[in-house]
Amino acid sequence: MSTVSGNKVEMKKKFRIRKSPSDIGIDILIILFFTAFTLMCIFPFYYLFINTISNNDLVVSGKVNFYPREITFTNYANIFKVSTLLYSIFITFSRTVLGTFLMVITTAWAAYLITKKKMWKRSFWYRFLVITMYFNAGLVPWFINMKMLDLTGSFLAYIIPGMVAPYNIILVKTYIESIPDSLEESAIIDGASTPRVFFKIIIPLALPILATITIFGAVGNWNSFQDSLLLMSSTPKLMTLQHVLYTYLNQNSAAMNAAMNSGGSSQLATVQMNSTANQYTIAMVSIIPILLVYPFMQRFFVKGIMLGAVKG
Amino acid sequence: MSTKIYQSGQNRQALEKIEKNEKANIFEIIGRILAVIAIVLVFIPDVNPARIFIGKEIYSSGKQQWLSEEGKMNINISLFTSAVNYDATVEHLKTDYTKGVIKAKDADGNVIKDENGKVVKVPVLEEAPFHTLQLGAVLVLAGIIVSAVAECAGIGNRKLRSYAYPAGILGSICSLAGIYVVLNAYNRIEQRILEYADPEEFNQVFPIGIYVFAILCGLMLLTGLAKWITNIIRLREAGDLRPLKPGMQEKYRLFLMILPVIFLSFLFCYLPIYGWRYSFFDLVTGDYTLTANKFVGFKNFKYLFQNGGDTLRVLRNTLVMSGLGIATSWLPIAFAVLLAEVPSTKFQRLVQTFTTIPNFISWVLVYAVALAIFSRDGFLNQLIGIITGNRPDTIYLQDGSNTWLKMLLWGTWKGLGWSAIIYIAGISGIDQQLFEAAKVDGASRWQCIWHVTIPGLLPTYMVMLLLSIAGILSNGMEQYLVFENAWNTETIEVLDLYVYNLGMGSSPNLPLATVVGVTKSFIGITLLLVANRVSKVIRGESIV
Repeated sequence: MSTVSGNKVEMKKKFRIRKSPSDIGIDILIILFFTAFTLMCIFPFYYLFINTISNNDLVVSGKVNFYPREITFTNYANIFKVSTLLYSIFITFSRTVLGTFLMVITTAWAAYLITKKKMWKRSFWYRFLVITMYFNAGLVPWFINMKMLDLTGSFLAYIIPGMVAPYNIILVKTYIESIPDSLEESAIIDGASTPRVFFKIIIPLALPILATITIFGAVGNWNSFQDSLLLMSSTPKLMTLQHVLYTYLNQNSAAMNAAMNSGGSSQLATVQMNSTANQYTIAMVSIIPILLVYPFMQRFFVKGIMLGAVKG
Repeated sequence: MSTKIYQSGQNRQALEKIEKNEKANIFEIIGRILAVIAIVLVFIPDVNPARIFIGKEIYSSGKQQWLSEEGKMNINISLFTSAVNYDATVEHLKTDYTKGVIKAKDADGNVIKDENGKVVKVPVLEEAPFHTLQLGAVLVLAGIIVSAVAECAGIGNRKLRSYAYPAGILGSICSLAGIYVVLNAYNRIEQRILEYADPEEFNQVFPIGIYVFAILCGLMLLTGLAKWITNIIRLREAGDLRPLKPGMQEKYRLFLMILPVIFLSFLFCYLPIYGWRYSFFDLVTGDYTLTANKFVGFKNFKYLFQNGGDTLRVLRNTLVMSGLGIATSWLPIAFAVLLAEVPSTKFQRLVQTFTTIPNFISWVLVYAVALAIFSRDGFLNQLIGIITGNRPDTIYLQDGSNTWLKMLLWGTWKGLGWSAIIYIAGISGIDQQLFEAAKVDGASRWQCIWHVTIPGLLPTYMVMLLLSIAGILSNGMEQYLVFENAWNTETIEVLDLYVYNLGMGSSPNLPLATVVGVTKSFIGITLLLVANRVSKVIRGESIV
């Protein structure tokens, strides 16, 4: 990111061309467009946030639109009394930490070994791992397979299937290939075993790319919804946060329809008040961690995605 | 043994040469194949030796069928599950077979009565044999794992093999013992049923897996013995050319180190293909056992292509939405190019930071956002109310019009900033001298963009475009699942969502959902190969 602007500034200095009025007009239009789009991207989150920290009565009557009113954190306090939500936060957090850690180690290990030219049938096994990125057997066979492996209704289903991530293997492999061989060779001559070389030399040198895949993996795990929906519908204690949020969004619209049909306006108002408050608050709870780690992960984006564009 | 072992440099080299050129003998090859087969079969329910299949026989339309829910036990449980998950094995036992429905009889066959003269009732099945059953399954599984590990070690040098082969033999013996234990449990259950239950009503089917695994483990034992003996003979013959330490050639060592990863990939990406067999059977809801009389060949495939109403609708939705995505795939380039035109670096960075946020939240959250903005009391209606003084009651999400366009807009909102990053990085990768040369030649701003920037980004764009064409049938299901409601289901249902609704919905039709999935997989892989070929022709480089 910084390089783009750096080069541009340099260029501007060298070839400062006087801008015509129409150029300036176009600049203004571009800036207006980007301002509008950026606002569109962040305003919804701001809107959710001010609604969760305002008085619920004001929220329902539609008086909280641009800034919070009568700030209160009761919604957040209330939401943490719901046990299913606490469970789901715990589950999602554990899977994010454990799943991401195991994914990074396994992926890095596979990528490192794949760079070893001496391996028996190396290119075949590399294709074997990578082709799974483009091919899958389908949803139902996958589900039946998970049943066969006894992973329905089991926490392990969140961790083990994600351990081999083909796209990340490509990223890490490309990166490791760019590390000079001499470092590794000197260690091997000193008698270091392959795992030792991996942990003592490859991992420290590949840290930037490992950080990138850690972040992608962690965000993916935190946002995971589909596996929970398919595998954990009969074990509510293992639902992920997104799944719980989804059930809330669905349930509440059902509850509101029911209340609307029965005609009780006061009942409708209560249902509505609780439902919107709950929905917004759960949504905020699941967005906040992402927003918190966002500044740290941003610097790894470009590196990761540029490496991804390079064919493995 | 009087053989002297020399490890002088000369001898070691001679030994390495011999071992390198040594071909695996027939027993070793058979042993490896058997080990791979055994490992795969461990996960296949149909050949699970510990699958105790008890049914109440019912007859309908002349065909013998098993009562769907209560009539069968652990039917879809693999040997692996039988070994590691006792609860799954006895799941139906607890609900259906322990109910006190059977009159207890004493040794002479008289009905036992308690002190008050009431008939004593006992459960049809006790739990005890099932403990034995699990023990047997654990033994079989453990034996197979030991054999497989030994088989891996058997790739090593002669010294390593002299450890590996006895271990493999022990593994097969352990498996055979396990099968004996399973057989014992089976017989006890059988006896109990004969003794107490109405044979008309309760019928136990002999698990075919007992034969399969008995034969498999028997063969493994035989080949193991053969390998062991040949290895001993080899070591004798080798005389002083004997390896002192267990070891392995590097190429195989590296392979064995990556083998666990390959195994995981196989389990979760390749083994599901076994589920394709469901597409050849006719199943009713709730009964997922595959028996020969339900085999229908390609009937489900024919149904898919002949009764095309739903298929065509779903295909149309899929193609339109993917098509719209492809038609707007130049947007990220425009975004990147325009952003690079903004004079302020700070502004660029700010825009980039905030526009990538939506990419990192899930579709469920996007839906929550949509509810906040577009529901009846949402922001949009409030805003209109503030501006015009008259708040509308429209619920924008409960509306089936322009679904395709709306979905495209949500997708763009979520992904545009993120997709642009690759092009922003691409612009910085363009040689600055090109810009300078163009400026010197008097190129205008737009000429610079058109003749330098865009051509510089085209190769990346081509890859992205080809990949999105290859994935034209897979638009994922999360987005459409969360936005689906009674109003828009006609136009929002894409292939992936259709498969989900078919297979996991309220009245699941597993075979048809599988058929759709299978067809989609084949078309997808074909498209990918075509895209790859096109890429090779155009760019001289493959994308896969």
